[in-house]
Amino acid sequence: MAAIKIRALPARLVRLVEDLRRKEDRLALLLSLVIGALVGLVVVAFILLTGRLTALMYPPGGSGWRRIVVPTIGSLVTGYLLFKYFPLARGSGIPQTRAALFIHDGRISLRSVVGKFVCCSISLATGIPLGREGPAVYMGSGLASVIARRLGLSRAQIRSLIPVGGAAALAAAFNTPIAAVLFSLEEIVGDLHAPVLGSIVLASAASWMVLHLVLGDNPLFHVPGYHLVSLKELGVYVVLGIVGGLSSVAFVKMLLWMRAKFAKMPRASLWIQPVAGGLTVGILGYFVPQVLGVGYDQVERVLNGDVILKVAITLAVLKIVATSVAYASGNAGGIFGPSLFIGSMVGATVGSVAHLLFPASTAGPGAYALVGMGTAFAGIIRTPLTSVIMIFEVTRDYTIIVPLMISNLIAFYISQKLQKEPIYEALARQDGLHLPRSSSRTHGAVPLVSSAAREVPQSLTPEMKISDAAERVKDSALESWPVADELGLIGMVRTRHIAHALDQGKLEMTIERLMQIARRSESDKSVDMPHVHNDQPLSRALARMRESGHKVLPVVSRANVRIMLGIVTFADILKEFGVESADELDYRDHPDL
Amino acid sequence: MKTPLVQPAAPTPTATVSEFIATFAVILAAIVGLLLFDTALARVDVAERKAYAGREFASGQALIAQGKVEAAIEHLRTASTLDGENSTYGVALAQAILADGRPTEADQMLSPLLERNETDGATNLAMARVLAKEGKLDKAKAYYHRAIYGLWPRGADKSRTAARFELIDLLARANAKQELLSELLPIQDDTTNDLAQRKRIAHLFVVAGSPARAVVIFREILRRDTKDADAFVGLAEAALSLGDFATARTDLLAAQKLMPEDSSSLQSRVALTDSVISLDPTQSGLALPEQVRRSRNLVQMTLASVRKCLGVQAPQVAVALDSATLLLVSGRAAGQAQSVEQNLSLAEQLWGLRRSRCAPDGQDGALALIHGRIAQ
Repeated sequence: MAAIKIRALPARLVRLVEDLRRKEDRLALLLSLVIGALVGLVVVAFILLTGRLTALMYPPGGSGWRRIVVPTIGSLVTGYLLFKYFPLARGSGIPQTRAALFIHDGRISLRSVVGKFVCCSISLATGIPLGREGPAVYMGSGLASVIARRLGLSRAQIRSLIPVGGAAALAAAFNTPIAAVLFSLEEIVGDLHAPVLGSIVLASAASWMVLHLVLGDNPLFHVPGYHLVSLKELGVYVVLGIVGGLSSVAFVKMLLWMRAKFAKMPRASLWIQPVAGGLTVGILGYFVPQVLGVGYDQVERVLNGDVILKVAITLAVLKIVATSVAYASGNAGGIFGPSLFIGSMVGATVGSVAHLLFPASTAGPGAYALVGMGTAFAGIIRTPLTSVIMIFEVTRDYTIIVPLMISNLIAFYISQKLQKEPIYEALARQDGLHLPRSSSRTHGAVPLVSSAAREVPQSLTPEMKISDAAERVKDSALESWPVADELGLIGMVRTRHIAHALDQGKLEMTIERLMQIARRSESDKSVDMPHVHNDQPLSRALARMRESGHKVLPVVSRANVRIMLGIVTFADILKEFGVESADELDYRDHPDL
Repeated sequence: MKTPLVQPAAPTPTATVSEFIATFAVILAAIVGLLLFDTALARVDVAERKAYAGREFASGQALIAQGKVEAAIEHLRTASTLDGENSTYGVALAQAILADGRPTEADQMLSPLLERNETDGATNLAMARVLAKEGKLDKAKAYYHRAIYGLWPRGADKSRTAARFELIDLLARANAKQELLSELLPIQDDTTNDLAQRKRIAHLFVVAGSPARAVVIFREILRRDTKDADAFVGLAEAALSLGDFATARTDLLAAQKLMPEDSSSLQSRVALTDSVISLDPTQSGLALPEQVRRSRNLVQMTLASVRKCLGVQAPQVAVALDSATLLLVSGRAAGQAQSVEQNLSLAEQLWGLRRSRCAPDGQDGALALIHGRIAQ
């Protein structure tokens, strides 16, 4: 009897597992909880280990030279590890997570996750002024991806678990479960109506519960209860929104500018580049120790009103510089935490000045530091909804929410106006990744570029003579033709330009030269290589055609815009929308297309 | 021919059931392992943070004892940041900030602590001190009461009594006699109070306008120790407050005998009592002419006091002078008994005027005592 039961149990288990795998919603539910708990525990371990390591690096009463040597050596070690073993663990982790979601079918390797954990622990513990939240999101998403692949899930299921892992990680790293859900939807997925909402909520809750089980019920910051002293104060919050927005733009532009400069350095110097950041941070930290690390203890002090105006201004400026150079030089760590630091110092500065001028009708600088945190977050990260909820969750203070919303929206608006591209998209673009914007993402059954795209015709080469090019395109009805070198697409050339050059007898002119002439011509709007991606809606392709004047656009990879996946034509788009025109070009007569 | 572009389909990832189960088993094992690891690490972390916070707190307290409040705040702030759960650090920090002259900041610091634990005695007491410093007496009193009836993890009785005495002192300073009396009554029979506290309570009963209760306590003290000079002084104070100047003199002389080394201060009190006795028109056994003389003297002394505080040109003083002159003229015509009554009435009115317009003056001690007796 017992033997029968033992034999029967595995069979039942097998049936149970098979049943579970068939019912995707149940599996998603179970996985959300499991991933939430696992990611929560990993992030807690990450926080605790980083804290222990920091205590070792900077013991109480340690001498000043440590502040120069430790970040320098730390960045040297992480620089080598990143170069040699974990190239994908560089930087924040949010753009990489989004790239995994939108470009790599949700694939993040275990090696990258381990690398992120190790390198960020070293980096943050040695005082590099970067945040732990972005890396945590990458680790969480990475773990979700690894688990999903190990369980043999489909690509769609793997992709759907990326934001789940990210939300769980942020809930644990920042102790903000609701903001984690919103951030995951607003920033990672870019869609507040994403169907994975339920799973994200579950994972975030599971992770937060684990955090509380291990570390107890402690908000990230203990903040006194602030409230609006008078309605006049709203004016000061408007000023804070403006200053916060401008500071955010300054930070983002400086970071991107520095990163572009570092990117131009020889590839062989990649392993040593982080030392530039580490040394700069060390020198700044020698004189102003508060610059080191993510600085949440300093933020807490400021939030509690322990502010000296001169110190607040100095720290805001130095943190912008230190974070920019540390991140741009390729250290591991995020910009989430530094954004809050910068914001709190900017807020404290505005608050101190306001309180000096109008002591009776304004709250203390701590209240402005609190709102400033959200303002900088909205300006830098560009997730206004998340920033409001996050500050509410971090401080558990509801009374300041209206000024917070006002300042946030102003900062968000200014940031949008002065810095067109949000920071994570700009960072990804610097890495050659074209991540989709939330505005370009589709809802429901909108026809995509992939549905109208066709195979790539044989490209022209830049050194090809006009005569040869004319021969190549003569039987084609395409109005523009792709030009590619050995590394991939370099642009599009109009068929009529080739014909014109031919008519003028410039048979020996190269296509490259023709493209240069066309670029100089004011009538040609295609100075920047126009392109579309497979996952963009056809309406976007039409808009691009209108902007560039080309009726043929290359469809390129998001991972590398020089890799051409196909082309899309105006006629094909019309056809996809069911519009047949008498004067349309009939490609069916041209078998080579 | 158009060939729609389709992403090359990757092979659908698959895993066998056993791989699926094995993966889940590994994940669950990892969760258990990490939970144990994290818990152990968190314990070490918390212990170290608490120890460090404790050291910072001790440094802060030591600096406060040395009067270096600003330096102490740094240490206490670190302690409070490191161990936010320990309200002792937060309260100590708030009190240091208050001592540094920043009551608003201290108030903001204590509010979240009270939100977390509104029954904590120490936090309520600290808040009461802050509010008292801000001049918000009504709110301060409420927080003192919360402190008195709040929870004290260690030495609850002592802490509650200390909080009550702080409130009593505040009320005494604010001259809130009724409230002072209501705070004193619950502790007048508290046998746990030591001798010094009993004397303090008795003295405060005098301040609260209930000298009879003070007399009971001082007599009880003297029953136990007939050579307690302080108790005799206290009795004398109570007797003066009751208008029993002769008894007060006797008690002061008894105290003087027991404390010859402190004779100068007692001597001045005896002198005051002698002065009062010689001036008091209501003293029993006085002949009528002497009563008239003393009552006229009292009017003149009170008038002089009013002049001194309001100035001769003040219209009130002019009115009072007219009344006094009129009274002195009419006093000749009226009977002596009626004259005494009128003089005392005028003196009382003048004293009322003086009290309503001027601050108490130490030089008018005898006058105050006589008027106190007349008012009884």
